[in-house]
Order: sequence, then C-alpha cells, then structure tokens
Amino acid sequence: MARETLERPRFRHVGRPVDRIDATAKVTGQTVYGDDLRLPRLLHVKLVHAPVAHARIRRIGASKALAVPGVEAVLTAADLPPHRTNPDARAQVLLASDEVLFYGQPVAAVLARDPYTAAYARDLVEVEYEELPAVVDPLEAMRDDAPLARTGAIRDADRSEEQGHITVEAQQEQAQSHPSNVSSSITFRRGDVEAGFAEADAVVEGTWRSSMVHQSYIEPHVIIADYDASGELSIWSSTQAPFHVRHEVARTLGLPEARVRVTATEVGGGFGGKIYLYEPLVAALAMAVRRPVKLTMSRREDMLAATPAPQAVVQLKAGMKADGTLVALQARVIYDAGAFPGAPVLPGCLLIGGSYKCPNLDIQGFEVLTNKVSVGALRAPGAPHVAFALESAMDMLAQRLELDPLEVRLKNAVEKGDPLPSGQPYPAIGLKECLEAIARTDIWRERRRIRQHPHRGVGLAVGGWLGGLQPASATVGLNADGTINVTVGAADITGTNTSFAQIAAEELNLPLEMVSVVTGDTRTAPYAGMSAGSKTTYTVGRAVKLAAEDARQQILAIASQRLEVPAEELEMQDGVVRARGQPEKQVTFRELGRLTTGFGARYAPIVGRGAITARRQAPGFTAQVAEVEVDPDTGQVTVLRYAVAQDVGFAINPKSVEGQMQGGAAQGLGIALFEEMVYDEKGRLLNPNLLDYRLPTARDVPPIEAIIVEVPSEEGPYGARIVGEPSIVPGPAAVANAVADAVGARVFEAPLTPERVLRALGKLRD
Amino acid sequence: MRPFAHFAPRSLDEALDIFRREGEGGRPLAGGTDLVVQLKEGGHKFPYPRYLVSLRRLPELRALGWHEEQGLRLGAGLTMAEVASNDWVRQRYPALADGAGLVGSRQTMNMATVGGNVCNAAPSADTAPPLLALEAQARIVGPQGERLLPLEEFWLGPGETVLRHGELLTEFLLPPPLPRSASLYRRHTPRQQMDIAVVGVAVAVALDDGGRTLKKVRIALGAVAPTPIRARRAEAALEGQAPSPEAIARAAAIAQEEARPISDVRGSAALRRHLVGVMTERLLREAIERARRG
Repeated sequence: MARETLERPRFRHVGRPVDRIDATAKVTGQTVYGDDLRLPRLLHVKLVHAPVAHARIRRIGASKALAVPGVEAVLTAADLPPHRTNPDARAQVLLASDEVLFYGQPVAAVLARDPYTAAYARDLVEVEYEELPAVVDPLEAMRDDAPLARTGAIRDADRSEEQGHITVEAQQEQAQSHPSNVSSSITFRRGDVEAGFAEADAVVEGTWRSSMVHQSYIEPHVIIADYDASGELSIWSSTQAPFHVRHEVARTLGLPEARVRVTATEVGGGFGGKIYLYEPLVAALAMAVRRPVKLTMSRREDMLAATPAPQAVVQLKAGMKADGTLVALQARVIYDAGAFPGAPVLPGCLLIGGSYKCPNLDIQGFEVLTNKVSVGALRAPGAPHVAFALESAMDMLAQRLELDPLEVRLKNAVEKGDPLPSGQPYPAIGLKECLEAIARTDIWRERRRIRQHPHRGVGLAVGGWLGGLQPASATVGLNADGTINVTVGAADITGTNTSFAQIAAEELNLPLEMVSVVTGDTRTAPYAGMSAGSKTTYTVGRAVKLAAEDARQQILAIASQRLEVPAEELEMQDGVVRARGQPEKQVTFRELGRLTTGFGARYAPIVGRGAITARRQAPGFTAQVAEVEVDPDTGQVTVLRYAVAQDVGFAINPKSVEGQMQGGAAQGLGIALFEEMVYDEKGRLLNPNLLDYRLPTARDVPPIEAIIVEVPSEEGPYGARIVGEPSIVPGPAAVANAVADAVGARVFEAPLTPERVLRALGKLRD
Repeated sequence: MRPFAHFAPRSLDEALDIFRREGEGGRPLAGGTDLVVQLKEGGHKFPYPRYLVSLRRLPELRALGWHEEQGLRLGAGLTMAEVASNDWVRQRYPALADGAGLVGSRQTMNMATVGGNVCNAAPSADTAPPLLALEAQARIVGPQGERLLPLEEFWLGPGETVLRHGELLTEFLLPPPLPRSASLYRRHTPRQQMDIAVVGVAVAVALDDGGRTLKKVRIALGAVAPTPIRARRAEAALEGQAPSPEAIARAAAIAQEEARPISDVRGSAALRRHLVGVMTERLLREAIERARRG
C-alpha cells in the first residue's frame, strides 16, 4: 500500500490501518443477516412477477393458489390497506393495479407458512394480461412515433435516492407538455461551443453505449414487517437508509414516524441498490394480515425486480488545441430510467462537463422511460457511463495530436475554484495529485516496453464523484466500567463503524478496545442520512468526533471537580484523567463511570452529543491505469495489472479505504468486461442469473495496486473526504483505452465482450 | 419447489425396479448440480418430476478400470473431480480431463457426474466434445436389457437423449489411444472460470509411425449445434494428410461450415462460427505438436 500524504499531525488511531471490528464474525459466518431472523406467526411472501413488459391486467384469479395447504392469503393491489400512491414513484406503486410497466413487476403477493409453499402457490395464481406495445430501447423510445412506456404523464418524480448520492443545486426540467417518453431533461451551456470547435486543432466524436448492470450484492433484498396490536410498525430491512425507509413508509401508509421503527439489518452488500423499495409493500401486507411478513428475494427475483443501474447512450464531440488545451465539449447524455423516473441524468451531465477545464460547453441530458425495470443507484450512479465517453475521447484527442495522454489530462484537470457546468466552484480536490501518482506506477512507467508485445497495451482514465450531503448526529456515552459506547443511526456498509471507533478512541485517547460502536434502529439512534453518496464517514464521522469532544469536556468537568484542578490542567490517557505534572492526582474512567451511573450517583451520566449539518461537498477523484492483453483472434481481453490512485482527503482507516478502492475498481472491471443485463425486443430479461450475468471471478481480476492520495477536505473529520464511490468510475474507459493501445481497435460499447472487440477489429462477418 | 418423492436405491436393479413400479414422471438424480437448480428456479427444460431416483448409491455406476486392449471403463456416476484427477484419464485421455476440470466451481466438480453432464444433453456440456473425440461408447441398461451405443447417437437435441423411461446410462467405454496420439479440449468463455462454453472444441489426433502424416483425426464441437457434434468432413480432410499449416487451416474452415450455431444470450452465431475456426486451428496445431513429442 502506497500513500501520498501531505504533512500532518501524528495521530494515535486515525490514519492507522485496523481490521474491521465485525470482520471475524463475517468471515466465520456468524453475522446475523435479515434472512436469519424469525418471528412468531411469521408469514412468508412470494410476489407474482409479471411475465410481460407492458400490459393491462384483466383479471387475477387466486382460487388455485389459495387451495394449496399452508397458503394464508393472496393479495392484489385492491386488497391492500388504504395508502398513498404515486404512479410516478416506484416504491409507492406497491403492486401493479391496472397497468404493468415492466417485465417482473409485482402484481400480487402470496403469503404462506413457508417460502417454498408460497413459491409453489405463486405459480398457480392466474393473471390475464392484455399486452400493450413495449418500448425497450432508449433511443427508440425518444422517437416521436414510439409507443408510450406508460399512460399518463410524469408529475411527481421521486428523486430522493439521487439526492442522497449527489447533492447539488440545479433545476431538472420536467417532461414536455406533449406525451413523450422523455420524462425530464437538463441543459448546461458555457461559452460558445461552435467557436470552440472552430479554434480546435483536433475534433473527435463518437457514441458510447453502456449496458444495464446490476449491483449484484451477495444478499438479495430481505425485509420483515410487523404491525402489532398497539399500532406500532416494525421493519427489519437490509437497507442502507433506515431513516429514509421510515420516512417513506410512514408517508406512504399514513403513520406517524414516531410509530415506525426501522432496523437496518447487516447489509450483505448494497452499492446503492438497497435504499428503499419493497418496505412499503411488505409493511402494507403485514398490516393487511395482522401478522409479521417476510420477503426474501431470490437471485432471479432480485434481478427481475430490484433497481439495477441504467443503460446509457452518450454522444460526445470534443475539441482540443495542438498544445493539449481542451476547448469544446458537446454532449448528449441519454439515460434509460426504465419504467419510473429516477435516472442519474444530473450527475452524468455535471461530470461529463466537470472533469476538465473547458471554456465552451454544450451539454444536454435526457431521462427516458422504457418498459424495463426502473433503475436505482449503483456506486457513483451515472458516472462510469459518461467517463467511458469522455475518457475515451481524451485518449483519441491525445493520439490525434501526438500528445501524452497523462500530460493532456494533467493540463486540463479541474482543480480548486474551477466551475462545474452548473457554475458551482470546486473546493480543494486532488485530481492532479492522482494523475501524478499514476505517473509513478510501474505500469505507466513501463508502458513503452509493454507496448512492444504485439497484443498488450496500457490505458489510463480518471473519474470522480461529487458526493451526497445530509445532516448527521451521534452520541458518545460513558459506561459504568469506564468503557465507551458510540451510537449512530447510519447503516455500516463499508466499515464505517470501525472508523467511528477510531475517531472516538482518538478524541478520548483510549485503546480502541475500550470503544464500542452500535448502529441503533430509528427509534433509538440519533438521526443519520442514508449510507449512500460516499458521505457516511464524511458526515457521521464529524458528528462522532463532536460527540466525543463533548463527552471529553463532560469528563474533564467532573474530573476537575473531583481533583480540584482546573480542566485546562488535566490530561487524559488510556482511561485515566490526571493533573499535568501531578501524577498522584488522578481519576479513572471506571471511577467516573460509577460516579455518573451508580445508585445515588453524584453526577449526571456522561452523554456526548454531536450533531452537524453538511453543506459543503468534498468531491473525490481517482486516476486508474490498466495493462491488458488482447487475443486478437478470440477477442478476449485479460487485465494483467491494474493500479488505482484516489484522493480520499485523509484515510481514517487505510485498510478499509484500500478495500473500497480495490472493490470499486473490481466492479469497474466487471462493467468494463462482463456485466450486462440483456433484454429481448419484448422487454424480457434473458439472463436473470449469475451464470449468464457474469461478475468477475477472482481469476478475472488482477492484483490491484491501491495508492492513497490525501488532499485534505475543508470540512471532513481530520480532512477526510468521500471514498466509496469514485473507484468504480474509470474502469470501462481505462480498459477501452488499454485495448485501443494494445490492438488499435476502439470499442464504443461496454462491456467489452469478445464479440464487441472482434467487431471493432473487423474480424466478424454476419 | 414443489413436492416430489425421493428414492435412494442401493443397486442398479433396485433403481430399475423403482422406475418400473412408479411409472412415468420420474427422473434420475445424479450430482443434482443442474436438476436441483432447475427444480428450485422452476426451469422449463423438462416437465416437473413426480419423483426422483438418486443414483448416488449405485456401485454399478462407479466402474473405473483400464485395459490395454479394451481401453477405459468409466462409470457414469464418477464426479468431475474424480475424472479430472484420474491418472489414466490424465495420461491417456487428456481432453476428457480438460473438460471435466472446467465444469463449474470446485464445489460443482465434487458433485456433478460425467454421466449427468452427458444425460443433461446441453449442447455446451464440457465433457461431451472430449468423449466424442475420444470415440466413447455409452452402456445403457433398462427394462429391455443392455445396449452399447456410440455416444454420437446418444443425443437427439437440447435436453433430449435416446434414453427411454426407466433406462439408465451406466458407463462409458473409451478405446485405447493409438501410439503418437494426443487429445485436447478447450472452450471459449468470457470469464476465466465458473462459466459455460460459448464454443467448446475437442480434438484427438494420431500420427503415423513415421510421424509425417495424420493417421487419425477426431474433431468434436460443443455449443454450436442442437447437440454436441463431430466435424466429420473436417476430420476426413486431414486424415492421411501431412499436417501442414495450410491443411490445418483448411480443416478448421470446414469445421466452421459444419457448425450450425444459433444466436443467444451467450453469443451470436457469427461469433460462434468464427471461434470454431480459430479454436479448431489452434487445437489441431497444439495436439499435433504434442503427438509428435509423444
């Protein structure tokens, strides 16, 4: 592990690599996940998934399913308790009531005593459909004569998920007045793009396509809901966003948030795909039958009917002067949202025009509805799609002008003060530092020698993510025995609780073992935003730091009274507070614990409180380099070596930061080479399984060198900035650039399957 | 998954009795790596069975023996891991070791059987092209007794075989390899492992005593036709010829013509046809080189 670090103070815990506190339980299989939970009288639900992409429901016949022993109920939309529905918000259309909008959309729910009975009976539910024309391809959907993906215009699109991932101020225009599959669009202009192309010495253009991909978390969605006799609704969900689930479920079902308790069970992978989806449905089912209900989706069900990442088409034209100055970018960015709005058009448009300084921009973004499953977030949603186009174009320009691709990027890379397409200026960022770090890698330095091999090449690409912003809070309490409890409301999906333990131990100058971190449920934990948008450590970490500082002050105040020494003259180490220079004057955390919790205790309990609002983003950039070998006869691409440099501001736990960088890069290689949800012309998913939807295996991913770059953020704890998302972004572009370098063929569609590589090489005849 | 009956006989006779007694609607269960997944996922490769008959305890399906003149007896119930690690197989029938060593994950290889792979009748089965190229015969035992069938005649289409109700494939017989011979199997998959063949090619070659001409050539193709097939015209074009690069390229081109691929989610017909040519040529060269080295 390499680390590019600026001068900074020495710390005891933060900045040092530690194992995740939950690592042993996870690797030994002892961690309890949602599907492990059981409740008395529990019913299991299996959903009836529509086998057509667009249809009107004529009739639902449940009698055969109800006749199966063990089946308790078969419910359709009409059988659900009264609730708010919004036809434009996927999670609020609990079951399709009239119009089926995508293949796999749930139309009925079968509740039975065990999941096998429910699944068996599910196949016996008879649904009559009147098929409607389905529109599957986003470009076709944009044509004036295209069939409409749904009847009725979009009025109230739900963009909360996107907001959680990327919080920016820009107005997204709602759909036009005439019926269209374009549900929203956005435009950013700067300067005069035609004048920019006129002064350019090289202009390249192309159309880049990215496929629909799935988050492919190991654990599919699991939700349990229980509505008890006193009107309390409890939900256990494998969610990244317990407070968001609470808010949405309460709003949808008309319950006060105070009566809804959401427990985020251990998340077996989320990557943005586990914000909220079926919680309102499962809660409504539990309310309907007055029994606890559990939904555990199978892999197939999850692939049919969760929220994968969108297909996108990016048309890009870019102009550069002979000295490498980027002078014009013109882009048309089209995201296929599937059947409900919610595609990442805004971040895509911001990033395609916000990665390099460019005086002349013309960027248009479109969100298009089709009859496919609606999309959700996947690690830097929308960003890999535009980076694929932009970073390919940068290499094409460099090649055309005979410039070094890394130098060209360095010359144009955005830095502090440069405006995003929205006009908002960047705070301190580390894109240039990442490029400089990549320039020092073995792969980059050896690229001339590598190229001597007839089928090997090296490709570079950069990418970034702006990050989400939400307020956060935390408490730090002193226990009777002197140990410390940190309570947060953020689901731990990336090892953040370990980082919080490091932060609290740092501020209280304690051994790490004395600190325990718990994620409470929404009735007990202090509020936190969703664990999405790379912001958990950046925001909740700040709250934990404040709460620990507050607890420290409270501890010092009591110690000061006990020792009759002014608080300023006290020091704290390893659970002992002592007067500086008078070692005999000391009081231990254990004694303080007793003094603040025991019977007749003299002092009030120590409860440190930290609450913050986050208003300033700390964008994270990464530069990555791939060495590949291409078999020119089979089209097979093998990634031989890979390196990732990423600016993380300050790595509180370098071990988990490195893991995030490698994990995101591995996912980037997956979408670069293998991953693709394939739909037929009728909108049916052809590969809802992990055999024909290929994730990279251990043998497909080379060792990934992770270089931590640290350009401190202005607001994050110890200078930390966002970490989780950027690493996925450059993968497809880096591999495409490496393939072009290796065999001279440029591939414009990801994943770069053998078939697409062979076609680019002109070796396939039809 | 729906209810079904499960029988676990301890002998071949007992298994045959169960099929006779229970009648239609039963399926044999070997490793279960495909069948059980089909049952769970509600697959549509076959009608949902009323009962399963486990073959795991049948000693008659675990034969394994080598004879200089008769060749190899290989029980249908041997697992992929057992086949891939067997020394007779590795030394004398390396194409089969290649194929068995590629099926699924390590866990799959420990469960899946070579007989199951063949009876499943997937055009992409990884042991099928090797067994075809190695001229395996299949022993079939059923209510009407026993028969021995060249494997090429065993498959009728995707998921379909000549097996009638109550018949079981018990073992394979592989003739002994000729001197100066070699065999190989390779498949094309986008991933390095845990994948299914987009195209599979097996070749087996034998050189004449002087090593100058090809005495025998067998080329078998997987996933490019409704069943695994032999590329007989390509074989004939090479047999008796000197193994020149031109002759090999010509045979590969003929094999391409013999393939009848379809386009599906795993690859287009054009890709498959292209790969048949590339892979057949590469494998023939490599096999001839190995046969030369002996």
